Amino acid sequence: MTTQSQTNFSHLIGAVLRYTVLGIGLSVTLLPFVYVILSSLKTPSEIIQIPPSFFPKAPTWQNFITIFNDPKVPLGLFFFNSSFVAVARVGVTLFTSSLAGYIFARYEFGGKGVMFAVIMAQIMIPFQMIMIPLYLILVKLQLIDTLWGLIIPAMIDAFGIFMMRQFIEGIPRELIDAGRMDGATEFQIYWNLILPQLSAPLASLGIFTFMATWNDYLWPLIVITTHERRTLPLLLTWYSSSHGSRPSLTMAASVIVLLPIVLIYILFQRQIVANAATSGFK
Amino acid sequence: MASPGSLRRSQRRFAFSVMTPIMIYLMIFSLLPMIWAVILGFFDYSPARVGGTIFGLGESNPFVGIRNYLDMFSDSQPATVFRKSVSNTFLFTFLILPLNLAITLPLAIIIERSHARVKGFFRAVYFLPTVTSAVAVALIWGAIYNPQAGLLNSMIRTIGMTPPKAWLSDPQAFVFGIPLAMVALIVAHLWQDFGYNLVIFIAALQGIPQNLRDAAMVDGANEQQMFWYVTLPLLQPTLLFVCVMTILSSLQMFILAQVMTAGGPREQTTTMLMSIYSNAFRYQNMGWAAAMSMVLFGIIMLFTIVQFRFLRSDWEY
Amino acid sequence: MRSYSPVRWLVLIMALVLASCSAAAPAAPVAEKVTIRMWSHQNSAFNKVNQELIDQFMKENPNIEVKYETFPYDQFIQTLQTSMPAGTEADVIEMFGSWVCNYATGGRLQETPAEVMSYTKAQEIFYKAPLDGYYCDGKLYGMPNEYNLEYSGALVNPELYKAAGIAFPPEYKDYNGLIADAKKMSAFSGETMTTAGFHFTGGDALGFIMLGGILEQGGNYFADDGKHFNFESKEALNVISTLTRYAREDKVIDPTLFSGDNGLPGAFFKGQVGIAYIGPWAAGVGLVDYPDVKFEYVALPPMFGSEYKFAADAGWGKVVSANTKHSKEAWMLQNYLTINRANALKFNQISGTVPALKELVDNPAEILAVAPYMQPILKLLPHGQYLGNVTDRDQLFYEIIAKNLTDALNGTMTPEQAAAKMNAEANAMVDSKASK
Repeated sequence: MTTQSQTNFSHLIGAVLRYTVLGIGLSVTLLPFVYVILSSLKTPSEIIQIPPSFFPKAPTWQNFITIFNDPKVPLGLFFFNSSFVAVARVGVTLFTSSLAGYIFARYEFGGKGVMFAVIMAQIMIPFQMIMIPLYLILVKLQLIDTLWGLIIPAMIDAFGIFMMRQFIEGIPRELIDAGRMDGATEFQIYWNLILPQLSAPLASLGIFTFMATWNDYLWPLIVITTHERRTLPLLLTWYSSSHGSRPSLTMAASVIVLLPIVLIYILFQRQIVANAATSGFK
Repeated sequence: MASPGSLRRSQRRFAFSVMTPIMIYLMIFSLLPMIWAVILGFFDYSPARVGGTIFGLGESNPFVGIRNYLDMFSDSQPATVFRKSVSNTFLFTFLILPLNLAITLPLAIIIERSHARVKGFFRAVYFLPTVTSAVAVALIWGAIYNPQAGLLNSMIRTIGMTPPKAWLSDPQAFVFGIPLAMVALIVAHLWQDFGYNLVIFIAALQGIPQNLRDAAMVDGANEQQMFWYVTLPLLQPTLLFVCVMTILSSLQMFILAQVMTAGGPREQTTTMLMSIYSNAFRYQNMGWAAAMSMVLFGIIMLFTIVQFRFLRSDWEY
Repeated sequence: MRSYSPVRWLVLIMALVLASCSAAAPAAPVAEKVTIRMWSHQNSAFNKVNQELIDQFMKENPNIEVKYETFPYDQFIQTLQTSMPAGTEADVIEMFGSWVCNYATGGRLQETPAEVMSYTKAQEIFYKAPLDGYYCDGKLYGMPNEYNLEYSGALVNPELYKAAGIAFPPEYKDYNGLIADAKKMSAFSGETMTTAGFHFTGGDALGFIMLGGILEQGGNYFADDGKHFNFESKEALNVISTLTRYAREDKVIDPTLFSGDNGLPGAFFKGQVGIAYIGPWAAGVGLVDYPDVKFEYVALPPMFGSEYKFAADAGWGKVVSANTKHSKEAWMLQNYLTINRANALKFNQISGTVPALKELVDNPAEILAVAPYMQPILKLLPHGQYLGNVTDRDQLFYEIIAKNLTDALNGTMTPEQAAAKMNAEANAMVDSKASK
C-alpha cells in the first residue's frame, strides 16, 4: 500500500468513527423527545402495561383531546400567562438595559462610580440569596399571587446593563456628537441613533431572558397559588400529579408545553445557538 | 471635551432622570433584599409570627446571633439534612464537571471538523434540550426511569441483563459509593445541559486562527500534537469560563431534583437550594433558611470571584 | 443589519399584550355576586365529590360563585404557608385535622361563629376523635368530614387469591393465616418482587400499625410526661421486629420497589398487590380512577393480641381562613359541606372516608349502599382513641416512623437500632418545637 492510500484509508476510518459518534449522540439526544411523543399517543392502559411497548399499538389522539376539552385546563390562559410575563419582562429589560448601558458608557455625572458598584453588586447576587426577603417584600407590596409579582422583581437586569455598556462603548462618539449638533434631544439620540446599532446584543439578551422566564419554576412556585395564574411549568407539575394514574395524559401535556418552544427554536435556531455561543452565558 | 454649559446640564438631567428610577428599583429589589437576607440569618424568624416593628424582627421573632450558623453543626434533623444537602450539592457539581467536559469537548472537536452543513445540523440538534423546560425534562426522564414500565429498564431487559430495582427510589442502591438516584439525576441533567458548553466550545474552536494551525502543520505536527500544544492552550480561557459557569449552575440545581426525585430517596438527591426552599417556605423557618442561603452564597461568591479575577482580561478580546 | 429596532417592536408587542390583557380581564362581578375560593389537596375521589357538592351549592345560591382549586399533596402545605402571610389563601380550605391547631394558634383560621355551630353541639353530632382535631385552646375552628381510620382494613385482590387457590373473600382470625396466604401470592422475577402478597408500607399505614400495635399490646407510645415518646418499650420493639420478619423472612413486601409512584393505591389497582393495608378511602379512589378493577375491602384481625385498639387522628375537614373577606358566604359553604347531612353523606360515600358524623354510622345503611366496602371497618370505631398531641403529625408519621421502620424492613438497621433511632428523633422533634 502506498502512503497516499494509507492516509486516505485512515481518513475514511476517521470519518466513519466521527459520524458514528455523532450518530450515537444524535440518537441519545432525540430519544427522550421521540419517547414522549410516542407515549402521548398511547392509550392509558397501554402505557402502564408490563412489559412496556415502545411504539403505540393503536396510536390515538385521545389524550390530547382530553386535555383540550378539560375545563380545568384552559390552555390559552396558561399560554397567555407565560407569554405575558416573559414578554413584559423582556420588554422592560431590553429597554432599561440599553438605556442605562448607554448612560454608563457615554455620560459623566456625579455618583456614577457608586451607581456602577450597585450594578456590579446585583450581578454577583444569586437569586437564592434574596428569594426569601423578596417574598417578604412582595407580601408587603401585596403582589403575591399576581403575574406582576413575577415580572416586577426581575424587570431590571444589571447584567443586561453591563452587557449593553460593553457594547455601546464600541460605538463611535462622533455619531453622538453629530446627533447633538443636529439638535436632537438626549432621548432622541438614544432612540434613533444608538438603539438601531444594538440589534444584535439586544436580540441576544432578549432571547436569553425570554427563555429563562418561560422556563422559570422556583420563583413562580413561591409566588403563584391561584390556578388561573399559573405559568406553564407550574401547570405541568400540577397536571402531572393530579393525573398520576394516567401517565399518558401527563406525557401529552408535556408535549403540549414543549411544542411552542421547540417550534420557536426550529425557526430561530441559528440565531439562538449563535447567541448562546458568542455571549457564552447561561 | 468642551461643551456649552446648557448641553452639559441637559445631559446630566437626562442621565439622572434615567438612572434615578433604576437605582431606586435596584435598591428595593436587590440591595434591600441582600441586606435583609444577611440580617435574617441572625434571627429566628417566621412570617407566621407577628414580631416587632422593623420588618417583623424582634419580640416573637427573636435575635439569636450566630445560633443559626452554630446549629448547622448540631444533631438536629434540619441540620443533618442541611449537611447532607451540602455534600450532595458538592458531589453533584464535581461529578458533573468532568463528565460534561468529557462529552462536550470531544464532540465539539468532531463537529468543528465536519462539513459546514453537518456542523450546523448537529449543533442545532444537540442544543435543543437546553431550551426545553426542566419540568418537562424531569417528567420525561422520570417516565424513562420507571422501573416497571419505563424505557430504560425495558431496554436493559431486552439485552438480557437485570436492571436495578429502582433508579430513583432505592435508598440502598449505590454505584461506586454514589447513590443511584444521583447518578440517574446526573445523566438527565447532562442530557439537558451539555448543549451549552458544546456550542461555546465549537465557537471557541472556530475562533482559533487557521494560520496558527497551518504554521503548526508546516512544523510537522500531527493531530495529537496539534491538539495538546496548539488547540488546548488557546482554549484555556474558554475552558476556564466553561468550568466556572458549569460549576455555578450545578451549585444551584433545583428543578430537576425537585420534580424527578423530590430530593429522595432519603435526601440522597436533596440539594442546598431545595433544603433552603423547604425550610423557608414549608417549615417557615426563614431565619434558619436565610443562614443556609448565606452559606450557599459564600460558595457561589468564591467561584464567581475566581471567574472575574481570571477572566477580566479576556473580556476585552 | 435590521433597519428597525427590535426594542420598538417588543415595546409594541408589550403594549398590545397589555391592551388585550385588560380587555380579556374578567369583568367585575355583577351586582352582589360574591366569589369565594376553596382549596384542597389532590385526590380524585375527594375532588370529584367536592366539585359536585360545590356545583349543587352554587345552584342553590346563585349569588355565590365558588372557585375550587386543587394542589399536589406535597405542595399543599407550602402553598398554605406562602399564601397566608400574604392573605392570598382561599376562603374555605379543606385541611387535615392534625394541622388545624397549628394554623389556628397562629391566628390563621377563623373561629366558628356561635350561630354556625358551638363545640357543645358539635360534640353531640360528631365523633370525639375527629372533632378534637378542630378544637384548639377552647375554641372550635371548622368541622371534620372524616374519621381518619387507617387501621386493620385492607383491599384484597380476587384475581390473585383465585390464582393462588385461596378462598375469597378471606376471613382471618389472626395474622398467621394472613401471612401464610400472602406468601402464596408474592411473586418474583429472579430476585425482584413483581407481586407483593401483603403491602403494609404506605406512609400512613406504617404510622398506624406502629402506634396501634403498641396499644394492642397494652403499651403506650407516649412517655410518662404525655409529651415525649417512648419507642424503645418492649411493645414497640415487638412491632418493629414482627414487621421486619414479615418483610425479610416471609418476603411479603419489598418496601423500596412498592413506594412512591409504585406505591398504594395505584399498585393495588394495577394488580401488583394481594392484600393492601390501607384506609377505605383508597377504595373511593379506585372506583374513580380504576373503574374496571374488581376488589373487596375486608377487616383484618388485630396484629397483636385479640383486642382492637388504635389511635386515630382527625381527618380531612373544612375550615375558614382568618383573612377571608366573605365570612358569611364562606361559613355557608363550610357548613354545607360538613354539617348538612345529605352532603356529608355524599362526601363519605364517594370519597370512601369513614364519616365523622355519628348519625351516619349509627344508621349505616345509606353509606353502605354506595360504599359497601366500608362495612367491616365501621365496627372498629368504638375501639379508637384520639391520637393526642404528637407535636408534628406529618413529621412523626412520615419522617420518623415510616423512614426508620423502612430501614429495618430493608435490613439497613436492626429492629433495635430502628427503635432507638425512632425514639431519639421523635423526642428531638418534641424538644425543638417546645423551645420555639
